[in-house]
Amino acid sequence: MTQSRIDATQTRPPLWRNVTFLKWATQIGVLVGLVTLAWILIGTALRNLEAQGLSLDWDFLTDPVGIRLGEGIFTQPASGLEAFATAIVNMLRVTASGIIAATILGVLVGISRLSSNWLLSRAATAYVESIRNVPLLIQIVFWFFLMTLFFPTLDAEGSGPIPGWLIVSRKGVSIPWLFPTEVFWQWFVFVAAGAWAARRMYRRRIQLLEETGRETHPARWALGTFVLFAVVGWFAHPIAGAFGWLFALVAAAIAAIPTVVFQIAFALLSIWMGARWIRRFLDSRRTPAGLARLTDDDYFRMGLAGALGLAGAIVFMVLPQLTSLITDVGHFVFAFLDQKFDFLRTGSPLRLGRPSIVVPGKFPQIGDTGMTMTPNFFGLWVGVTLYTAAFIAEIVRGGILAVPKGQTEAGLSLGLKRSQVLRMIVLPQAFRIILPPMGNQYLNLAKNTSLGIAIAFAELVQVGQTLFNQTGDTIQVFLIWMGFYLSVSLILSSIVNWYNRRVKLVER
Amino acid sequence: MGKKLTLLTAVFALVVAACGGGAEETTTTTAAPEPGQTTTTAAPAPGGGGDAGAGGGGAQEGGSLLDTVIARGTLNCGVNETLAGFGFKDESGQFVGFDVDLCRAVAAAVLGDANAVKFEPLTAAARFEAVNSGLVDLLSRNTTWTQSRDTDLGLDFGPTTYYDGQQLMAKAADGFSASSTLNDIAGAVVCTNAGTTTEKNITEASDALGLNITLQTYEDFNIVMENFKSGACDVVTTDGSGLVSRKATDPAGGEWVIFPEVPISKEPLGPAWKQNDSVWGDVVRWTVYAMIIAEEKGITSANVDQMVANPPDGEASRLLGASEDEIQTKMGLPADAFYQVIKQVGNYGEVFDRHLTPLGLNRGLNALWSDGGLLYAPPAR
Repeated sequence: MTQSRIDATQTRPPLWRNVTFLKWATQIGVLVGLVTLAWILIGTALRNLEAQGLSLDWDFLTDPVGIRLGEGIFTQPASGLEAFATAIVNMLRVTASGIIAATILGVLVGISRLSSNWLLSRAATAYVESIRNVPLLIQIVFWFFLMTLFFPTLDAEGSGPIPGWLIVSRKGVSIPWLFPTEVFWQWFVFVAAGAWAARRMYRRRIQLLEETGRETHPARWALGTFVLFAVVGWFAHPIAGAFGWLFALVAAAIAAIPTVVFQIAFALLSIWMGARWIRRFLDSRRTPAGLARLTDDDYFRMGLAGALGLAGAIVFMVLPQLTSLITDVGHFVFAFLDQKFDFLRTGSPLRLGRPSIVVPGKFPQIGDTGMTMTPNFFGLWVGVTLYTAAFIAEIVRGGILAVPKGQTEAGLSLGLKRSQVLRMIVLPQAFRIILPPMGNQYLNLAKNTSLGIAIAFAELVQVGQTLFNQTGDTIQVFLIWMGFYLSVSLILSSIVNWYNRRVKLVER
Repeated sequence: MGKKLTLLTAVFALVVAACGGGAEETTTTTAAPEPGQTTTTAAPAPGGGGDAGAGGGGAQEGGSLLDTVIARGTLNCGVNETLAGFGFKDESGQFVGFDVDLCRAVAAAVLGDANAVKFEPLTAAARFEAVNSGLVDLLSRNTTWTQSRDTDLGLDFGPTTYYDGQQLMAKAADGFSASSTLNDIAGAVVCTNAGTTTEKNITEASDALGLNITLQTYEDFNIVMENFKSGACDVVTTDGSGLVSRKATDPAGGEWVIFPEVPISKEPLGPAWKQNDSVWGDVVRWTVYAMIIAEEKGITSANVDQMVANPPDGEASRLLGASEDEIQTKMGLPADAFYQVIKQVGNYGEVFDRHLTPLGLNRGLNALWSDGGLLYAPPAR
């Protein structure tokens, strides 16, 4: 074992010249300084707020607010929390559907720009250049006005291009849709099992293909397995209702066990996770010759992990509200699932809802039997989708151009068609380059939904503003906004990063 | 390396200069507490003292807004820029309107010049923060006086300058008339302005009657009107005066009806300022009262000079600063403050006739008490 050690006969340098001590002292000093700075800043802010007479109470979350929202799950929220829940669901609806639509459109446009078809590539270029250079707010308002001013008016009889199946009007667009029913979750168990089975079948067929060399159609077999499970589940789902007893049991258990037990459990969990991290870290440093020499950085990281574990334990023990919040959420989830699973509850898991027009008073409105898109949703969704798709198109184009030309030439020389070269050779390699900037654009899309306030779409900023106008709690609403957008962005970027890590090139 | 360093330093200097310039002078004037002002010690104001006197709970540290405005030489006034008749930006970029003229009147009283006003256009959503943060000294933006705004939101309100009420507007072609009631809007899509008492009123009214309406609230009332005209919104609602002004100025207004006859809510509109500033409050209040008293006595901008020379009675002579026992100087104003108001802006009737009568609004509740209206000013003695 060779280790470079300081010779024991050498005298140790004085403390003020000792590199190890200095490094530790600096790090701890900076940490203390940061904490003190944060303390001072927050303290000053709170004192200033008090001096201005602005209070920081959160009652508006639980008190009745007396507002109405344009659309959402609770259009007449009973409390501030319900209003925010509605707003968040609306925002997530636009974000999720916008991300999917923008990705599909962006990839298609990006590939079109590189097409050898002159008209297609010029059209794609025109789209990208015009959409990219106009501010998004103007585009959103444009699409909103397009619908409210230029679409046909809603008549009580005979409205829509296809009455009963498709309604297009100034008040909204309505299409038929498959809605989940009460027994949907029971069927979903079968669908999830089918997905898992399909994946295993796919792997097995690929393995068989590689071993024997004959065509085994892995994709078709996987799809077939999935469809089989789904169809069987459609009729056999009452059996899955047996899970209801399990969920009821868990929910009852959560409710019955006192909070203190959970607190201790979470505290122990926190300590255990810290210890586990340290142990795995040490294991990663073990060589066949024994434990490698640990650097200061390693000690610091282990110390930090241990400290965080302890801090977590202390937080759980000292704040019972945190634990009860977690247990309440858990209880809610399991009670909800218990409700959805009932043994031998039959019925069809999905039902077809067709659009209709109702006349509740003097004015015809679009009924809620179909899937309706209001002009507000339309303006925001089309606006952010087209805008983000233009940027994604450029990213995709850049990624494809970055793949060496030799790959395309090799593929063509093998006799593959251009579309096959693109699909099987170029795009998989371009994917690694495209992914990080795409994550960026998804974050942009999520935050651009806040422009919905200009067209009165009931998303987070609009609802928050309505709330603070009625209650005066401006700062609290701002804090909620910042917290929420930060969380969504962090979650999105961590998903993209995780996927990025999986597909990146591993250098040997 | 040397060139890079020089370039970097130059850029840094430019940035610092750009960010540092333009800072407003904050004068910390400490006035002795006026008699009658409630004095409870409050936490010292952070940062620039005299500006927008801080202390939500007690006496002003560093003086009242009156001192700030006099020292600054300009009145910062928050107004509307999209409501014809009350606060509107005309083709030449000037702010005109009923509420705008109140700002000019206060400036004339305090500074002697009705044009020494910096107008700050505010949306309904941003106006209260603008007052609380000190961006504007006075808010004259068709703001309704309510209990929550008076207490919870940290404002104080002046005398009501326009008694209004909330009404709705729909198209006659949809089967509405002036005698329609609130029940007729069941199931409709109702659009209004965001951040207003209108939102809350229509929600409560429809909840009370059990009506199911879809409420959409927009930042810009122009968008509301566009949607109303195209049919995406079935009914619009806002203050009656706003509806009348829109109906009068729009070419399609002839087909619209405003209902119900009796407004569904009381909307007393008036000026507002940051609370617990009695000195400033007295200035604003008595400017409004002076304009009302002037109309009572028949003093107009045309004859105010003759009135100063030959005052009709003792009250007029005090109000115009023509007699020894005038009270303006004790308020901290120049003796001829209200003379300047009437001369440069006019009395209440003149301001009303200038901006609101062309829109088709009658005096109605806004007539003098002697004519059966609600305008009643305390005597100037």
